[in-house]
Amino acid sequence: MIDVKNLSKSFGDHLVLDNISEHISSGEKVVIIGPSGSGKSTFLRCLNLLETPTEGELSFEGTVITDPKVKIDRIRQQMGMVFQHFNLFPNMTIRRNITLAPVRTKLMSQAEADESAASLLRRVGLEDKADAYPAQLSGGQKQRVAIVRALAMKPKLMLFDEPTSALDPEMVGEVLDVMKELAHEGMTMVVVTHEMGFAREVGSRVLFMADGKIVEQGIPDTLFTNPQSPRLQDFLSKVL
Amino acid sequence: MFQSIIDWFVSIGLRLDKAFIEGGRWKLYLQGLGITLELTVIALVIGVVLGLVVAVIRTAHDQQRVGRRKNPLLGFFNVLCHIYTTVIRGTPMLVQLFIWTFVILKTERNKILVGFIGLGVNSGAYVAEIIRGGLMSVDVGQSEAGRSLGLNYFDTMRYIIIPQAFKNILPSLGNEFITLFKDTSLVQAIGGMEMLYYAYTIGGRTFDYMPPLIGIALMYLIIVAIFTRLQAKLERRLRESDRR
Repeated sequence: MIDVKNLSKSFGDHLVLDNISEHISSGEKVVIIGPSGSGKSTFLRCLNLLETPTEGELSFEGTVITDPKVKIDRIRQQMGMVFQHFNLFPNMTIRRNITLAPVRTKLMSQAEADESAASLLRRVGLEDKADAYPAQLSGGQKQRVAIVRALAMKPKLMLFDEPTSALDPEMVGEVLDVMKELAHEGMTMVVVTHEMGFAREVGSRVLFMADGKIVEQGIPDTLFTNPQSPRLQDFLSKVL
Repeated sequence: MFQSIIDWFVSIGLRLDKAFIEGGRWKLYLQGLGITLELTVIALVIGVVLGLVVAVIRTAHDQQRVGRRKNPLLGFFNVLCHIYTTVIRGTPMLVQLFIWTFVILKTERNKILVGFIGLGVNSGAYVAEIIRGGLMSVDVGQSEAGRSLGLNYFDTMRYIIIPQAFKNILPSLGNEFITLFKDTSLVQAIGGMEMLYYAYTIGGRTFDYMPPLIGIALMYLIIVAIFTRLQAKLERRLRESDRR
């Protein structure tokens, strides 16, 4: 589904991603872990070109999306993204937050979008919040709405950038539950997180990043119980 | 002593009558007020249009991605905009009006028209900074969220960024309107027939400047007060979504 070839990204003189090549297949739940500053968020943000790679090639379902001629908006419509700080639109109701993109991109009519927003909100238990504004919601509720907003575009892939890092501890569970449900339904997911429990339970593959490289990867059980590289051993000893 | 107070009240009645009633002079004040309001509104429209263009050019220039080749055309316009705001904000309004009247547009007989241009160009420089600040005050995560959903640049600006920026811009834009409204009185100095012009002329003709000048000062004050009220009301409505 996604092919990453020799991806590098630097901010000025600072090299953040160092020649990464990786393949993500449809249906996979890839969890990216690593110390802060290792480039995991930047890697994720490169996948939908929120960050422009300095070098390398990215393709999504056979289309080379790093090609400047590609209509990137069309590609992004097929990739949902959930941010650490939710980034809901504070000037709109929850319903409008969810329906704006599907309607403006002509994916659905307003009526269809309203219908789909209602059923998605019901799924995450927030059907009564459709007319509320983001400021009236708790952090956990905001993040669930943010997930719904991304899902409303019927994406083929969901990107999660530390979705629980800005939440109070008692709200982490409700967001992870929604993500687990999504995983069980077969959504392809790429998740940057510090939730090792989630990585273990949901991940079909875990990537460990450090210093702009994928240092080690594997299925969660092997990676967590039998880490090979000293860098990962050191990291796990600190977080587990 | 009482007599002198009574005398003063009697005389003030006569002075007011002379300044405002006699010969239907109040019509002249209203005529002047009309021109003053016209100057304010048209100059503000020119200012907002100019300001928006300058703000968008400067924001687009500043938001170019780090480490990539800069667009040279944008760079050129950015320098132009920078010179414009620096010169306008660094020189007195009255000097600018005189330059428009006696240097750049010295053949133009319609001084109100010169006033439109002088005030509008002046206001544009301030409005540009106001709008630029407003656009930059919106969290970058907002445009990232919009773009990540597949919305294009213009839809993201139109539905997400500008409405939020507008809310932040409104108080400063209201202040700009008030400043502009009062600064229209400078147009009197280049011969524009607005409210101060009529008050000054009537003062000269009746040999009594106090009633007409205090009179128009009150008019300015009342209109600013009304406008401030309206502005507060509009801001309250826009803040609705922030309420918990």
